[in-house]
Amino acid sequence: MEFSEHIKTANVEDVVLRQPLHPPGRGTLCITGHHLLFSDREEGSCRQVLLLLRNIDAIEKSVENLLTCSGLFSNAGLSQRLSGSSGTITIKCKDLRVLQLDIPGMEECLNIARSIETLSCLDSMSELYPFFYRPSSASLRDQWGLSSLERHYSQMKELHDRWRLSTVNRDFSVCPSYPQAVIVPKSTDDDMLEKVAKFRQGGRFPVLCYYHKKNGMVIMRSSQPLTGANRKHCREDEQLLQAVIDGSDKGYIIDTRSSQQALQARMTGGGLESKSCYSSWKRLQRQMERGKALQESLIKLVEACGEESNNMDRWLSKLENSKWLSHVQTALSTAGLLAECVERDGHSVLVHGSEGTDSTLLISTLAQLIMDPSCRTLEGFLTLLEREWVQAGHPFQQRCAHSAHSHARLQQESPVFLLLLDCVWQLWRQFPLALGFSEALLLRLATEAYASDYGTFLGNNQQERCALGVKENTHCLFQALLRPRERDCYSNPLYEHTELAIWPSVYPQSLQLWRGFFLRWTPQTHHLEEAQEEIRNMVIEWGKLALSSCPASTRRSEDVQNM
Amino acid sequence: MASPVSVYNSNALDTHISSSSRESLKMELLADVSLLPGEERIIDKETIYICPFSGAVKGKVLITNYRLYFKSLDPDLTLDVPLGAIGRVEKMGGASSRGENSYGLDITCKDMRNLRFALKQEGHSRRDIFELIFKYAFPLSHGLPLFAYVTQEKYGESGWDIYKPIEEFRRQGLPNNKWRITFINKNYELCDTYPTVLAVPFKSKEEDLRRVAAFRSRGRIPVLSWIHRENQAVIARCSQPLVGMSGKRNKDDERYLDVIREANDTSKLTIFDARPSVNAVANKATGGGYEGDEYQNAELVFLDIQNIHVMRESLKKLKDIVYPNVEDSHWLSSLESTHWLEHVKLVLSGAIQVADKVSSGQSVVVHCSDGWDRTAQLTSLAMLMLDSHYRTLRGFQVLIEKEWISFGHKFASRIGHGDKNHADQDRSPIFVQFIDCVWQMTKQFPTAFEFNERLLLTILDHLYSCCFGTFLYNCESARDQHEVRLKTVSLWSLVNSKMEMYLNPFYTPESGRVLYPVASMRHLELWVTYYIRWNPRIRQQQQSPVEQRYKELLALRDEYLKKLEELQLSDSSPSSRLANTPNSSSSTSSTPPQQYTQLQTPL
Repeated sequence: MEFSEHIKTANVEDVVLRQPLHPPGRGTLCITGHHLLFSDREEGSCRQVLLLLRNIDAIEKSVENLLTCSGLFSNAGLSQRLSGSSGTITIKCKDLRVLQLDIPGMEECLNIARSIETLSCLDSMSELYPFFYRPSSASLRDQWGLSSLERHYSQMKELHDRWRLSTVNRDFSVCPSYPQAVIVPKSTDDDMLEKVAKFRQGGRFPVLCYYHKKNGMVIMRSSQPLTGANRKHCREDEQLLQAVIDGSDKGYIIDTRSSQQALQARMTGGGLESKSCYSSWKRLQRQMERGKALQESLIKLVEACGEESNNMDRWLSKLENSKWLSHVQTALSTAGLLAECVERDGHSVLVHGSEGTDSTLLISTLAQLIMDPSCRTLEGFLTLLEREWVQAGHPFQQRCAHSAHSHARLQQESPVFLLLLDCVWQLWRQFPLALGFSEALLLRLATEAYASDYGTFLGNNQQERCALGVKENTHCLFQALLRPRERDCYSNPLYEHTELAIWPSVYPQSLQLWRGFFLRWTPQTHHLEEAQEEIRNMVIEWGKLALSSCPASTRRSEDVQNM
Repeated sequence: MASPVSVYNSNALDTHISSSSRESLKMELLADVSLLPGEERIIDKETIYICPFSGAVKGKVLITNYRLYFKSLDPDLTLDVPLGAIGRVEKMGGASSRGENSYGLDITCKDMRNLRFALKQEGHSRRDIFELIFKYAFPLSHGLPLFAYVTQEKYGESGWDIYKPIEEFRRQGLPNNKWRITFINKNYELCDTYPTVLAVPFKSKEEDLRRVAAFRSRGRIPVLSWIHRENQAVIARCSQPLVGMSGKRNKDDERYLDVIREANDTSKLTIFDARPSVNAVANKATGGGYEGDEYQNAELVFLDIQNIHVMRESLKKLKDIVYPNVEDSHWLSSLESTHWLEHVKLVLSGAIQVADKVSSGQSVVVHCSDGWDRTAQLTSLAMLMLDSHYRTLRGFQVLIEKEWISFGHKFASRIGHGDKNHADQDRSPIFVQFIDCVWQMTKQFPTAFEFNERLLLTILDHLYSCCFGTFLYNCESARDQHEVRLKTVSLWSLVNSKMEMYLNPFYTPESGRVLYPVASMRHLELWVTYYIRWNPRIRQQQQSPVEQRYKELLALRDEYLKKLEELQLSDSSPSSRLANTPNSSSSTSSTPPQQYTQLQTPL
């Protein structure tokens, strides 16, 4: 397909662009296969706005056609009036920015709108921009990705006793959404795994995702067992799980559905682990909202945030009604429960919901951040995301096809990854010293997941990425984020390594709206961002001094009594 | 642990119930209480503290003439409450009450908490302690002195010297050819709730001032609070005009306001009436009112801020949803129904309008009814936005001394220091609301304030404690009469003796910058670490490492500034190693100071 088919008008002069935080500008608008480019050359100042069309969630157009009301006039004035017609396109982006273009010429306006509509949601993945993005600073031969399951396993020597790396999925035939290598109990051979895979939805058999070094307990994740209405069971599945808690008295299964939902799932072939078959496992049902409900919550929240009037009536009620913060709360408290089982209670846990690709990943990731200091550094966090989201098969393509503004009928969209980032932000706010990365990183990830120059979030799983040649033909976001300049900007200068678990407070009073994201395009949030930047630079500057001279005497002021 | 708890409780470790050795003897429970100079033990008693978070706790309570101190070992729990924070003491249950712990004392505090103690039912065991708490918590109702008059803590510098009106006017560039300093009120004859030193228009003679005073509620005439150095626009404050039902006029008052306008050739003077317009109209019935059309060249703007009674009820509602149990199921809508944040928003947005007018070059007059509650909030917040000096640790003290204390915010009536009359309709958390607004600003501008949250908490704690003279009495004349400056210590003596505790490591002075906070509900937050701080789950476990880190950063910053100074000194000295190569010297030495000037703090 040629992109030019979809571009009837490539250039328009004299367009007015209105965008948040900037005064309106007049300049040239240009549409390419992947971008909207606006250049403003007023009074010597040259400003360019380059917007990835993929970032556009929805557009609204209104044209002022002077012709329709001037039918009575002679034809002589027609061309003149045509040129007098104009249109306005409102662009709502997936990063929640709202732009407005005033375009002279009705036809031009409609052409541009049509181009945007088509090109912003191309179906074929191989036509997406990451396959065309060729920055001069990087080469396609550069390392792709930060780590692999193989490397992860070989580094974790303490695993080797009881766990092995299986490549039963090397051609993605056992589980299409799993990576080629997975970590499983040593006593479980590949034949067994194939049988277990048939008993779990989508073939997602239980695999190890976290090993807690302090006590040797693990977090496993999977999808629901396919017990169905007649309560099938699978000997191999039971054996696999028994092998996980070998030597321990019991394990926990955290099911991210309510008991009722889990029971109902039987009617459609799914189900839950019965007490009789898994006698050493104790099931904990913790309902987490997913799918459509989550997407609708996001839509409500963004709508409330976008309301124009400053004299916001009932803002807090609207915030509450969106339920977004209660989803944050549920995610954090379920992750807390998971971490508590492993860290405080000293037992291994299996996590799953139904498909095991959404809320499962959400809470396993958060629990690891809570417990494991090594994933709280910038590099550690990105590696965690790569392993637990990209490689573990979170269907980014489906979940992030549209965001809160889209009018398109919802299909598989759901802001699970955004919810994760919000939860991480809450942790970051409650523990300003414990995480090695900045809010800017979370904001960048929230944008990149929906529209990106990089191939990292393309496709729904490793199989799709292999088929597309993502590794060979696109650049890797995580590598880019770790280049020296980016590293400077995305690290937290206040960071101090702590071995302690960071238990978040999950009470509604302790959770805040993530203004940095949801109110990102308001001047106040922008000022706050600048102030944060200033603080970063200050601390970095002081830190350099501390390194260059003899260590600054850490003066300890006398202990302070709180009255 | 048998199984994970059903509700995941992150703050399982209650910070004020920390583990400690049980070996210390019960006898010594109260041995380690460190008393202030002049503080005396009055009574101690075995008692049960009914903690709303961890249940009934056995221990010992000590009452001194300053504090209520409770200590238990199992769990290790300490309560240390200044008696000044107590608003009300009641007996709970009777001698024949049934049920465990149903007999005792119920104490309502002014700082968002209540305390309950259970005592033995036999032998009127609570009678003595009840009477003693009642007596020492409300000394003024019992003919006793406030504790500030009893204690004699010594500090390096006297906080009473922090604010000198003449010096502060001089800092603002006053007097000048338009504004003069007058001592007409030196014996509080013009206005008994105003300070002695006032700045008034140069053109207005003393008899003009007297005639204006007759037309302003309680003689609180318009006087200058702050002047903009560049455009000479001023913030003037006063009380409402005594218009009354008959719509009285006063030519002198009209002329006086016009003189204020003329002082910097403002075309129109803006009068900000803090009240909702209905209230302003209603005030006519009691002799008050607002400026009508007869004030030429003036525009009147109502700021819609509710009165002290509405604010008191709003904070009471807030307390209901946060103490002892926090309303969790519908937290945000419950919070909304208290309207507290909405009131905060209106106060802030009023102050923004004042600041905006002044920075655009127009003089303003601010008043409410008496000009000592909402007016003080508006002028002081506007000044905080306009003048970076007030955003320093010392400057903020000056701001409070000036706009609140010297101009007669009725601290005694609003707080009720030492007064048993808890239901007094004069009580209102106006000053707390002001500090809340300041906190909101520090949140929105994390590098603009030299002081930190701890200072705000300390100020609010001592607003009630009666340990310092700073917030005692309603006005300067009363303070003079009771010799507050001679006989009590200023809170600022304490603060300035431990300044490093109250400093914000990220402070970056920008002298010319006007701060406009966003007064939108979307950007306001409940000040959880003040209003819900008694709830153990709100206390952040990580608070102490953060404070420790901030202290390290402060030290690092000081080191940095010192290095910088040395660098500049060595650059300018002839012995500098680059001195003989003038070209390179000028290029290298000029860059760093420029780059870093913003970091030089006037500590």
